[in-house]
Amino acid sequence: MGVARVLTVRGATLFGVLVAVLLILVVTLGATGVSDRLLNAQVSETLREQRQSLAQTIRDPDQLEKVLESKKQELLQFYGLDRPWYQRLPDAIIRVFTLDLGSARTLRTVGGSSKVSELIFERLPNTIILVTTALAITAIIGLWVGVRLAVKVGSRLDRAVSYLSAASNALPSWWTGIIFILIFSVQLHLLPIGGIFSAPSPSDIFGKVLDVVWHAILPILTLVAISVGGWTYSVRTMVLNTAQEEFVTAARAKGLPESIVMRRHILRVAAPPIATSLILGLAGSLGGAILTETVFNWPGMGRLFYEGILSFDEAVVVGLTFMFTVIYVVARFLLEVLYIVLDPRVRY
Amino acid sequence: MLRRSVVKELLKTGSGRVGSIFFLVLIGISIYVVATYPLDFGVRSWRNPAVWADYPKAAPPVWTNLLSNLRSAEHQVLDKSQPTQILMGETSRTNVYEFRTNFLSDEPPTLISFTLAGVTFYERSPLLNIRFIRPDQNQLLLYSFVVPGPTAGEQAPIKRYYETPLRVALSNERSAISAVADFSRSSLGVDVDTAQLTREGILKILFSSPEAGHFRILKGVYAVQVAVELYDSRDSVGSLRLVLGGSTFGVLGTDSIGRDLAVGILFGFPVALFIGLVTSTLTTLVGAFAGIVSGYFGGKTDTLIQRVSDILNNIPLLPILIFLAFIFGQNLFVIIFVLIAFSWPGLTVIMRSMVLQIKSEQFVEAARVLGASRMKIVVQHIFPQTAPYVLAQMIFLAPAAILAEAALSFLGLGDPSIPTWGQILESGFRSGAVYVGFWWWIIPPGLLIIFTAMTFVLIALGLEPAVNPRLRRLR
Repeated sequence: MGVARVLTVRGATLFGVLVAVLLILVVTLGATGVSDRLLNAQVSETLREQRQSLAQTIRDPDQLEKVLESKKQELLQFYGLDRPWYQRLPDAIIRVFTLDLGSARTLRTVGGSSKVSELIFERLPNTIILVTTALAITAIIGLWVGVRLAVKVGSRLDRAVSYLSAASNALPSWWTGIIFILIFSVQLHLLPIGGIFSAPSPSDIFGKVLDVVWHAILPILTLVAISVGGWTYSVRTMVLNTAQEEFVTAARAKGLPESIVMRRHILRVAAPPIATSLILGLAGSLGGAILTETVFNWPGMGRLFYEGILSFDEAVVVGLTFMFTVIYVVARFLLEVLYIVLDPRVRY
Repeated sequence: MLRRSVVKELLKTGSGRVGSIFFLVLIGISIYVVATYPLDFGVRSWRNPAVWADYPKAAPPVWTNLLSNLRSAEHQVLDKSQPTQILMGETSRTNVYEFRTNFLSDEPPTLISFTLAGVTFYERSPLLNIRFIRPDQNQLLLYSFVVPGPTAGEQAPIKRYYETPLRVALSNERSAISAVADFSRSSLGVDVDTAQLTREGILKILFSSPEAGHFRILKGVYAVQVAVELYDSRDSVGSLRLVLGGSTFGVLGTDSIGRDLAVGILFGFPVALFIGLVTSTLTTLVGAFAGIVSGYFGGKTDTLIQRVSDILNNIPLLPILIFLAFIFGQNLFVIIFVLIAFSWPGLTVIMRSMVLQIKSEQFVEAARVLGASRMKIVVQHIFPQTAPYVLAQMIFLAPAAILAEAALSFLGLGDPSIPTWGQILESGFRSGAVYVGFWWWIIPPGLLIIFTAMTFVLIALGLEPAVNPRLRRLR
């Protein structure tokens, strides 16, 4: 199989995921009548704006009402509100796809905009910073510790990590975060309880960056704590599986130093399955980010999700559900490319 | 593999044994709760603030007293339905109800409240007098009350406080405050004005004596006498209750609206088990069925099932779960349904490959040659081979379901009619209990979520050697 073919197959599934989520979103919204409500809200908001501007040119109230009525009909037709919901599905899909979801009820960006897309894009970088940093730290610790464990299978540390990784299957990320707040912020007063900047925040760029790092320690610690056990364990198992292969024994028999056997023979071969387990853990990391941001009041998309739920804001929840799927699909695709780079059997 | 040997294998491993014991504990507590709690506990008790009015707010557990030098007041609820003493007068009879308590705390109670239920009378309205008697034998009339007489057209016997009992928060009652002000002036020789008492509360004075300019807690036996004067032999009084509010309460403390956390947390046991077991069982049924159909029948059905499960398997679960729970309303069964709908494909993919392998084995071929029907081959020859694996997967699905429900509850999407551990944590988080350090509200429900999830993980780990024969040989 060529690279292009592999990527197409993997890409097709991911594209299918995107389409499936879009369909779930629009069909649910349409069938429950929520989409009507959202569009009607958009119509009346547009009408309110137009009334203000028209009132300055059209003085006669009767005529103004008449003009507005015709505008309203135009808008209803434009949004397809004169047709049943299932005939509007293509429009609805495009609307979700382009995040054209109108305004949030009460949530505002820092600049005061209430547009759902602007709200989401304002929070996007914060989430990406948090998740990628945590993933990178987890990956490094996991690789470093996992390889060392594989060398000392059955040691006390090895067994401890095995149990810890099993236990982390049962550990809710948000509860872990709350406990960290209780210990490090409330009891010991070492770290901030949440947010991203201190109030007042430092004025110079360097101070600002330090401030963000300062606030990011606990959320990142939480994300790392819940995933590092399982990840270390899977690295250890993959390395162990490869280390039992005959070509490794052959390499050792040739008299190669252990470090070279580990790097060139074992790790090189174990890399693709390790990448696979990173891929499989991604959905969990995103879910963990939603909850961890909520706990630490970290102004990312996950916290926005929580705020959207609390303010009963359908448009925000829809936009975020879709956006998280997009991020997931894009990240998955990048990891698939990484997999191809790592696994020569796919390339040639 | 036979069922008995699976259990045997499970009990051979350490984690299997521990997991089984944990599971029995969970089952035991759940049976107790289901047997003793009303089914509408969530709506009738947990979400009803009136039920918790007599409980202290945000009180830590009683056993925290052991950790500090200062002994805090324990919450006491004293009930009486029979009079301690009956005094006969010329035209009346007085039922005296005496509540006694040995008070040894280093701080006054947080509240005193009095509740009266079920009064029946014929001629005249009964009169209530509440006396407060201190260990130093000083006493005062704290509160007097006349049961409201008949309204126009009301016929004897007249019944009062049967539907809703009369509750008097004595510590905030205006007449009690002025009674305490008088008492302080005449018996203790300390002048306090009522405005100050209203602000600071009367309990500090009621439960202490002045010593060198400031009040010192008076320890000893306190008594509260409630005298009910009845004017007809047929008159009766149902039950009385006196609550001494403490700053500590029960085994697990209370939350900020006074709910006994132990009660809510106990209710969480059967709910968590229900979520875990129902979701995992149904998911396994759907997943195994789809996997067998896909693997055994092949063809277009196979392709379709594989494509669908491939896509569902790759949808990030939490965002879509949030969305569906948000739109379809917060209903536990909706949550369980969605969890099933998105988690069956994992099992299907693996089942299919197992079935494909077994299908080509000789004993299956032999059965087919002998003329066994497809149904019979699947039920008798293929499914039993996969059963241990299916069982292990089923057990692994349970903690995932419990954690998913807890996460949703934490985001405010839990089913309000059924309190769960996740919801208790959510109310603690939302009301800021974390930031003021109400650890007793936060730690136990979280630990129990972990405990329950861990139980299933341990059992699944214990089953591994039974499921994976290669592992059995290695050990």
